[in-house]
Amino acid sequence: MSKFGVSADHTEGNKRPKPLPEITPFAQEFWEGTKKGELRIQRCRSCGHSQWIPRPNCEECSSRDLASELSSLSGVVYSFTIIRQVVMNSSAFEAELPFALAVIELSSGVRLIAQVVGVEPEKVSIGMKVEATFEDLSDKVAVPKFHPVA
Amino acid sequence: MSLRGKAAIVGYGETSFTRANVSRGEPRLSYWEYFSLAAELALENAGMSKKDLDNQGLAIVHPEVNHPIFVGVEVAENLGITTRWMITTSHGGSSGLVSLAQAALAVNSGIVDRVLCIAGDAPMTYGDTMMLTEHRRDYEKPFGVMGPTSLFALVMRRHMHQYGTRPEQTGKIAVTQRDHAVLNPNAIFRKPISMDDYLSSKMIAEPIRMLDTVMRVNGGSAFIVTSAEEARKICPKPVYLLGFGECDNYYHGAKQLGDVTFTGVGQASRDAMTMAGVTRGDLDFLQPYDDYTIAVLMQIEDIGFCEKGKGGKFIEETDISYKGELPINTGGGQISAGQPGLAGGQVNLIEGIRQLRGEGGERQIDDARLGMITGIGALQYGRNVGFNSVGILGTEV
Repeated sequence: MSKFGVSADHTEGNKRPKPLPEITPFAQEFWEGTKKGELRIQRCRSCGHSQWIPRPNCEECSSRDLASELSSLSGVVYSFTIIRQVVMNSSAFEAELPFALAVIELSSGVRLIAQVVGVEPEKVSIGMKVEATFEDLSDKVAVPKFHPVA
Repeated sequence: MSLRGKAAIVGYGETSFTRANVSRGEPRLSYWEYFSLAAELALENAGMSKKDLDNQGLAIVHPEVNHPIFVGVEVAENLGITTRWMITTSHGGSSGLVSLAQAALAVNSGIVDRVLCIAGDAPMTYGDTMMLTEHRRDYEKPFGVMGPTSLFALVMRRHMHQYGTRPEQTGKIAVTQRDHAVLNPNAIFRKPISMDDYLSSKMIAEPIRMLDTVMRVNGGSAFIVTSAEEARKICPKPVYLLGFGECDNYYHGAKQLGDVTFTGVGQASRDAMTMAGVTRGDLDFLQPYDDYTIAVLMQIEDIGFCEKGKGGKFIEETDISYKGELPINTGGGQISAGQPGLAGGQVNLIEGIRQLRGEGGERQIDDARLGMITGIGALQYGRNVGFNSVGILGTEV
């Protein structure tokens, strides 16, 4: 277990796997990054626009010359929900109920949806400062989760 | 050239909705059967036979259950008709209105004289659904997102934070719509609920409660569109398309850090009202697409019945029942009548047609002549809905 209570190996005591993403060509660097504890967010080399989720081209200027820029791991909660029931997703999440799921506004200027852990879900609030940690879902995939920081 | 008053609906039909609980004797049908049943009801209502649709137009809403992409031609085969014009619409809850607008364009252009528009779905019969978006598979499910309920919860929390919207306000939408469903024989929920029932209903994804959401059902509906000229000849109660607006992938502010409390229904409704030459005050009712109560509230703001953020107060102060100043979802909406998968968008549309024909039964609005119907669909990653459409229907041109 990491210091934030997130198991590095989710299969520990839980045999049901979480759903895995398909690693699409333009998302490859993002997934390589999360595996190393990094958040790599697309930034357009032509106009400087940052965007999440990964796209084949810049949504502002349409350039396909996109860098995978290392983003700060810190952000603030823009909105959140407390998940009390698993619907339309894997029963693997039942072991974590209830949990906070939030839209995190990263200091790199994009918003990402992820779980907030290491705090009672009821204590999560809009504006709360958080930082990313990572949970391995497979040998190729890790997803960010966030925990509060002072 | 405006589409205003160029086309009309001359017949419609809707199956009753069911959870397909076989042990209770409810039928467990396929979506193909719902397409057939709905088409049959609309033809009968229009006083037409299949021959009247041969070599005419067909518009099919894609179901959400796993189905072949070539669904359109298979529906035509099942109906045994040849078509001169066919489309399938894939705009989520906005699909039914898009079918209507496209059908109006087709008859107005002279390609065909009549279009049969059908939607049917059977999520209670099938386990597998189509992939609706890649972001759901890649960046939502692995991250713990529980489908649209959690995405709408994120929007609703933000709305509450920015404007102080309270559960008693969304609750009034749920309670009133249930009162309407009690009077709708096709609805799945026929028992009234109180505000206490709403407030104590189970939290699914806070702040969204069970009674803020839809119940998935099997069902289907259909309607027939002709030119206004033909409609006047063959139909005693034609319902005219007076205005339409569509706004897909709406940005409110910056692309990445925009305000998520706005939908594209604002822009679509302005376009629709401009085409129809009417204002909000002229409307006798509103049938807003309702997958969640907060979606109804946001659309009321975006259409301009009140300022953004004042939707909660507006709901509190307005009688939104079928007898009130602004009747809303007079058939119970999808929240209380049921959501037949991606045929759900036509639930609100069919109720609008019914009211304008004076066929609302016990929930009929007095002298309903002009109404607005909306369709929204595809909740996008970290944003608001992707598809938005608005139709204005009326009894006179």
